[in-house]
Amino acid sequence: MVIYGIYIVSKSGGLIYNYDHNIPRVETEKTFGFPLDIKLEYENKKVVVVFGQRDGINVGHVLLSVNGSPVSGRTTEDGRDVFDIIGVKDSYPLSLKFGRQRATTNEKIVLASMFYPLFALASQLSPVPKCSGIDTLTADSFKLSCFQTLTGLSCVKFILVTDPNMQGSDVVLRRIYELYSDYALKNPFYSLEMPIRCELFDTSLHTLLELVEKSGTSNL
Amino acid sequence: MSSSRSKTSILDKPLSKGKGEVSLALYALLFSEIVQYCQNRSHSIHELQTKLSEMGYDVGTRLLDLYFVRERNSKREIKLLNMLLFIKSTLWKVLFGKEADKLEHANDDERTYYIIEKDALVNKFISVPKDKGSLNCASFNAGIIEAVLTNGGFPAKVTAHWHKGTTYMVKFEDVVIARDKCLDDR
Repeated sequence: MVIYGIYIVSKSGGLIYNYDHNIPRVETEKTFGFPLDIKLEYENKKVVVVFGQRDGINVGHVLLSVNGSPVSGRTTEDGRDVFDIIGVKDSYPLSLKFGRQRATTNEKIVLASMFYPLFALASQLSPVPKCSGIDTLTADSFKLSCFQTLTGLSCVKFILVTDPNMQGSDVVLRRIYELYSDYALKNPFYSLEMPIRCELFDTSLHTLLELVEKSGTSNL
Repeated sequence: MSSSRSKTSILDKPLSKGKGEVSLALYALLFSEIVQYCQNRSHSIHELQTKLSEMGYDVGTRLLDLYFVRERNSKREIKLLNMLLFIKSTLWKVLFGKEADKLEHANDDERTYYIIEKDALVNKFISVPKDKGSLNCASFNAGIIEAVLTNGGFPAKVTAHWHKGTTYMVKFEDVVIARDKCLDDR
């Protein structure tokens, strides 16, 4: 019953709130011998695995540290270029740590704005008229539940990302909707469609998530 | 042409008991709109608080007689402490459903009293952003208190502060303190 995160998408499709609760850190550290059988490349200011997926190190993972010292961009802490270290035979055996990079705020905004047309698509593709859009999206490692507000003009969508065995996510989503209508909509300093920056909303949301994780959704 | 029943105006009917309960959500939305209205017409935090206080003043003026008739059986208070206790307990109870937490007298200044409450009802859903700093929307309540005191014969100035929750600092004029002393001496 783990909740990974909450996203709130406004009527126009922009992300107005995001909270990462428990994103598991995917990291693998391995010792390698010369020559390195994983192909690395430097793109988007990060050293990324491009080919040679094995043992928990997947394509797209980012190089996090070399021999224990963290890597920023393509240089280690002491200023040496990572590719130089990897190319030289003397540095081996070499211990490299790879992991999944956390999504930046910009990336999250892009992803959220991609959800929005997906929902529209789903409601139009439906063979039954008056479909409300995507309700649940299940993948192998997570489940995404969505709740769309009923007041037609401002259809805010509440998206909850949880582990696949989560039950009762619609109850949680309704409670988040209640919190939104209390601490965001009744706040005179909050304007509609803007990112939610209300302290009371944050604190009550955290409390709700902790309550759900501890005792489940039965007593909500 | 002439109706068989005579139309009774509102002034002929006896005073009603009052509704007793109003939806909290409705009140919160109304108050949120009041704050936004005042904010659009102010250029500084101080001005915003003054405008809120003035709106509260208008409300308080109308509350004074009504609640003395309803709750105190049309008998008005002439002693300072009793008036403050009336505000702290009776008035707060009918307005917000609970009494204010504390009433204190300042140690150093005889003219200053403090009414303290931990969570003002009007602030329940309001998160003040960082750039608004010390704004306290309970200035509205401060305006109510000021109107009740001033129109009740105890001229005073009331301001709201963030201290132990929300503190309303009541500053009476010298006349009031002097008169109250005479009443006690008699």
